[in-house]
Amino acid sequence: MSHLLNDAKGNVVRDAPWIFRTYAGHSSPRASNALYRANLERGQTGLSIAFDLPTQCGYSSDAPIALPEVGKVGVPINSLDDLHVLFEGIPLERMNTSMTINGTAMWLLALYVALARERGVPEAQLRGTTQNDIVKEYLARGTYIFPPEHSLRLVAETYEYCVDRIPEWNPSNVCSYHLQEAGAQPVQEVAFALANAIGILDLIQQRGRIDQAAVARCVGRLSFFVNAGIRFVEEMCKMRAFAELWDEITRERYAVTDPKLRLFRYGVQVNSLGLTEAQPENNAWRILLETLGVTLSRKARCRALQLPTWNEAMSLPRPWDQQWSLRLQQILAFETDLLDYPDLFEGSPVVASKTAEIADGARAEVARILAMGGVRAAIDSGYMKGALVKSMAERMTRIGSGAQVVVGVNKWTDALPSPLVGGDDGGVFKADDSAVADALRGLEETRHRRDPDRVRNALAALTAAARSGDGMMEPSIECALARVTTGEWADTLRSVFGEYRAQTGVAGQRLELDETRAARLRVRIEAFAAARGHRPRLVVGKPGLDGHSNGAEVIAVAARHAGFDVVYSGIRLTPEEIAHSAVEEDADLIGASILSGSHVELTRQLVKALAAAGGADIPLVVGGIIPKGDIAALEALGVRKVFTPSDYELGEVMERMMDVIEGRPG
Amino acid sequence: MSQDGEPAIATLIDAARSGDKRAIARLITRFEDDRPEAAAVRRDALARLDAAAALGIGRVVGITGAPGVGKSTLVGAVANRIIAADPAQRVAVVAVDPSSPLTGGALLGDRTRVRFPHDEPRLYFRSQASAAELGGVARATHQACRVLVRLFTTVIVETVGVGQGEVEVVRLADRTFLVLQPHGGDHVQFMKAGIMEVPDAFVVSKGDLDPAASATYHTLSASLRLAAPGAGDRPIFRTSALTGAGIDELAAAVAAAPAGGLDRRAPYFFERWVATEHGRAGLRRLATLAPTTATYLATHGGLDGAQQAFAAS
Repeated sequence: MSHLLNDAKGNVVRDAPWIFRTYAGHSSPRASNALYRANLERGQTGLSIAFDLPTQCGYSSDAPIALPEVGKVGVPINSLDDLHVLFEGIPLERMNTSMTINGTAMWLLALYVALARERGVPEAQLRGTTQNDIVKEYLARGTYIFPPEHSLRLVAETYEYCVDRIPEWNPSNVCSYHLQEAGAQPVQEVAFALANAIGILDLIQQRGRIDQAAVARCVGRLSFFVNAGIRFVEEMCKMRAFAELWDEITRERYAVTDPKLRLFRYGVQVNSLGLTEAQPENNAWRILLETLGVTLSRKARCRALQLPTWNEAMSLPRPWDQQWSLRLQQILAFETDLLDYPDLFEGSPVVASKTAEIADGARAEVARILAMGGVRAAIDSGYMKGALVKSMAERMTRIGSGAQVVVGVNKWTDALPSPLVGGDDGGVFKADDSAVADALRGLEETRHRRDPDRVRNALAALTAAARSGDGMMEPSIECALARVTTGEWADTLRSVFGEYRAQTGVAGQRLELDETRAARLRVRIEAFAAARGHRPRLVVGKPGLDGHSNGAEVIAVAARHAGFDVVYSGIRLTPEEIAHSAVEEDADLIGASILSGSHVELTRQLVKALAAAGGADIPLVVGGIIPKGDIAALEALGVRKVFTPSDYELGEVMERMMDVIEGRPG
Repeated sequence: MSQDGEPAIATLIDAARSGDKRAIARLITRFEDDRPEAAAVRRDALARLDAAAALGIGRVVGITGAPGVGKSTLVGAVANRIIAADPAQRVAVVAVDPSSPLTGGALLGDRTRVRFPHDEPRLYFRSQASAAELGGVARATHQACRVLVRLFTTVIVETVGVGQGEVEVVRLADRTFLVLQPHGGDHVQFMKAGIMEVPDAFVVSKGDLDPAASATYHTLSASLRLAAPGAGDRPIFRTSALTGAGIDELAAAVAAAPAGGLDRRAPYFFERWVATEHGRAGLRRLATLAPTTATYLATHGGLDGAQQAFAAS
């Protein structure tokens, strides 16, 4: 029957489900290994490894800037010894492993290859993905290390290495995910991701290190990592548009004839941006609906899916929360009849028209970016960053005005208390504080046991390759085998390539604050200036390694718009640097943005640093993903006001900051 | 403590002279204050600063250029090099960014690119909003420099300039460097605006982009001879903050700029203040009160006293 799914011989079949993953990793290699094995036993079919920020930014766990972040948002990997522990009892040859790693992607891939070599697993059998999408790090996520040209060379070299040796590895995974989290609309999400993919493939082609057939295979290995929001019909059409355009680009721009190499292959993590701290149980429904957008249409179904958890706006997830999300995937794949049918939407004029609308818009936007000189030029000029900041501001304005309904936030806010947050742990995850000690001990042991001559030679070979333009993958694998540490690998390349300091992306942006409110605030600020002889000076900065700069930038732009003099200190600062900025700038207020889960530790260090720098009296406010249960701890440290994702109304945030500056009770 | 919770000036000055950055920062805020009553505070503060054992008066060096030419990175590298080369040097940086003419607010982002070691007592960095003033140099910049030259040996003022700004910073600084980037085409714009005559020296930045930097260097030296024949050979530095090339030479040139000239330029800043506060009528009145602005200042105890006296006259 035509409504059933048939194989080539005409037998009725059922589709195999997508790969079920959970983005996971925390505390230590040992603890994360236990978590992965438990998840696999519960029916998860692939691994998605979350690394901690020091590993992502190329620091060993004992670097001063790394210490507060060790094991917080993922697992710390200092050397090959850690990777051995992480994969203990997990067969590499049968695993599909996805690593969310970017600035240090080549290093983690080298470690994975080295692990396979020491275990006697043929490299060619490895399957999985290194995220390795550096462009979106510059745009939205912040874990870049080197200037763009050098970072892109690292990306290109991983393709050149994998194409023959690890043919089933996806060397990079172009992420539109973070673009949507940063505010991108569907057309922007599709266009920016495609422009980004074109940037990588053009570069590989220009470098000319591999032949045309190999370039075509690189095209076939380039995968995408996409976000799915709550408007699931539009999201489904977005995925169909993505697939159509990718087929077009691979055929026309790269002359790939094999249709298999032109397939649009993508994994998904559904949207976290729209998850709310208020009435958090509602997020379970949101996650379900977002899942539909990327599974309903067979033609545009994801290859792998990982779901956030209902409490993600409050904290990092607990194992139970992750299990609950995994069960959703299993019910959809195995209880429902979804996988029995061919595409449900072929021939729907609504879907066809909506898909065409997104595809046309994205095609035009890709052309615009290419005309500017491609994705590199669009990073340098701040064009893409600016567009994202603007979209995010518009979104906040729509939510603020009620034009965009968010249940429990700007509508139906009255609700019974949620029993889900009533447990002893308040429904949130507490990282294991012994993680740092474990990581440091492991690092110490590795340094003690290794052969220093082999380490020195391996690093010298890496330096030589980096300087000469030779491939850095093999020297990196030798570094891995020699037990070079993550910090040493990255420092070696830093010394050759330098470090990148990003444009802030905030200049020239104007925020659609509620104008009446902004005007009232300006009057208040002028009055302050008349009374004190200067405008209120606000120092905004992000302590620690977390690079999600959107929150800090939105606050900085809104505060300027309200009339503050804002000193934006940027990302990846130590608490001492922020304290020092505040002291030198004679700040009236410090605003620290922390999304890494290390808010208590970083705040404690910031308060201490302020006292040491003679600025103990400068008031401090903190914003970020901060569980309600931690607010009292922050206030006890002296924080004057804590802002959480429920404080989405910018005018309100600005007024509360003025209250603190003027010394009114919060 | 005074009534508004701020420490007394004498306390601030003692602390600032011992290198307390919070005290230095607070002093600058008091100097930036443009309310009339602030003049008395400044006069008192300067008298106390000058009465204390003389630290000497430092040099003011302007670094200017179009947005994006790499000024901040360059300033960071130069300041670090100056203190590394000479233990007697203390360097302060004032970085001026524009204020929004619509809201009055400003976003000051230079700290993201200039990174000083936070525990280095011989370096100080301050961001400043240009307020509503044209020229890229705020009135407050001059006031901040008056404090800083008494506490630091070298004060670097970094301004965004695309024309008028260069002229203003030259009024403020003992030496001014104009930064140009390869392929910028800036020098053509500056030539048109008649700005090329103004700076004392040039810097071609981003020298790692060779050979574009070489091309810019040669075009520049050729066009300089055309722009200001007979003006003497003004040096052109080539630098790369990435590789460190040329930073030593530029740092040496900055550190060799003449010091101590800021107070001599007080009459200009007084006239500018009169024009802002009292307009042309004010300037005409000033001309009737003394034969020269310098004499007026001398009679009334310097810039701050003159402001008090003029406001009262």
